[in-house]
Amino acid sequence: MAVSPVPDRPPRNWWLIGGVAAFLLAMTGWSAEGIGFSLIELMCNIGGGGRLLAESWPPDFAFLPRLAEPFMETLNIAIVGTVIGGILSLPVAVLAARNLTLGRIVWFADRNFMNVLRTLPDLFWAMLFATAVGFGPVAGALALSVFTIAVISKLWSESLESIDMGLPEAVRAAGGTWLEMLKFGAVPQAMQHYVSYALYAFELNVRASMVLGLVGAGGIGMILETQRANFEYERVAMIILVVLVAVLIIEEISEAIRRRLT
Amino acid sequence: MTEPRGRIRFSGAGVTYPNGTVGMKDLDLEIEPGEFVVIVGSSGAGKSTLLRAINGLNRLTSGTVEVDGQAVAQREGRELRALRKRVGMIFQDFRLVKRLSVINNVLIGRLAHVPVWRALLGLWPQHDRDVALRALERVGIPEKAWVRASALSGGQQQRVGIARALAQEPAIILADEPVASLDPVTTHQIMRDLVRINRELGITTLVNLHFLDLAREYGQRIIGLRHGELVYDGSARTVTDEDFRDIYGRDFTEDDLLDEEAL
Repeated sequence: MAVSPVPDRPPRNWWLIGGVAAFLLAMTGWSAEGIGFSLIELMCNIGGGGRLLAESWPPDFAFLPRLAEPFMETLNIAIVGTVIGGILSLPVAVLAARNLTLGRIVWFADRNFMNVLRTLPDLFWAMLFATAVGFGPVAGALALSVFTIAVISKLWSESLESIDMGLPEAVRAAGGTWLEMLKFGAVPQAMQHYVSYALYAFELNVRASMVLGLVGAGGIGMILETQRANFEYERVAMIILVVLVAVLIIEEISEAIRRRLT
Repeated sequence: MTEPRGRIRFSGAGVTYPNGTVGMKDLDLEIEPGEFVVIVGSSGAGKSTLLRAINGLNRLTSGTVEVDGQAVAQREGRELRALRKRVGMIFQDFRLVKRLSVINNVLIGRLAHVPVWRALLGLWPQHDRDVALRALERVGIPEKAWVRASALSGGQQQRVGIARALAQEPAIILADEPVASLDPVTTHQIMRDLVRINRELGITTLVNLHFLDLAREYGQRIIGLRHGELVYDGSARTVTDEDFRDIYGRDFTEDDLLDEEAL
């Protein structure tokens, strides 16, 4: 058989490449101008940030024992939020997956529901639940539940959409119902992803519960807010260090779990 | 049960896919209980369409398919599930839950026999576990019951697929290219298993194959399809090379045979 030569590389569309680059540059310039962002000013004033950092050093380790209790509360808020949200995100994700959902209307409604959850910030949910159950850790946990649903259902519905539909079809062919098709055909293929996303959501929740503390949801965020207001930067540094270490530990644990899942 | 089991009847059945492709055209066909039928035809001839119409995985756009005198429902629901309960299916790509044990895969064949809540919670009744184990014994791998499906060879995985179909205690087994991803030796083993099960249990068996020599060796009755139409229907003993040429619409080559020296 005659071997045909490799054809020449098709010419690049320089007009398109140049156009996109110019567009991006213009957008950036316009936005920087709009918020009064200037590199030169940043250079001149960076010392102020440095002073803040210097004041925060060294972290106040004597403050550590007093962090134990609020830190546990933060963890508790994050755990409750992740578990409730993790469970509720299951149906939300399934119904948002085009290949598994129960009809176009359900799919459309669920997609929009997810978008609303995602669009409204966790602080909004915290305020909402605070008016319902009062300021405190319960409101925080509920807010994080919503946040968790938003995170997991978005990511997991995409995993579910990418599964191989052969197995669900085989379950159907054996006379399985929709729920059985999910349990035996769809979920086993996306289980690892679910666990990954749940752990990721937990990590986000530990961090987010700091922010929620600012609005009185309790936990370590509340301490952070009082110390910051009192200019106790060495204590603030200690709090941030604790959260940093906690997040790193969670990351390590979830990595280990994910490895064992395969 | 004395009702006639596993009779299939197509009457003027047609399938036109949404993209306009004709998968089946005005098919009239009757298959008797206990028959072992091999369906041949080149790819796209409508072999899968025919099988999948019997258990409602493909919807008819005209005509009817009946199983034991009852028309196959054309939408998901209780009626279709009741039919599927009696029709086991075996696939080219096995379609097992890789991360589950073999026995749990076979138990999927019992889904239509147990309440949904039991299946979802994994609380299988003892009777159904026994049926699943017997199915595994019948395909000769009971010792693999607690092994993960992903740890099995291709041939063993297909045996689990057969056991899953058997666990349904079906009247009909549909095998859609069951040996297309297996090596020649395993292919013959699986084909022999299917024939043996057909003889022992009297289950009506329809097998899609694309290798002509396999069709001749294992088929009792051969059905040839071309462009969604029935072009051959006869005994495997009397089928000629000329017939195969008609079915395929071309001379066949060694690509159409599993064992090349058989040409």
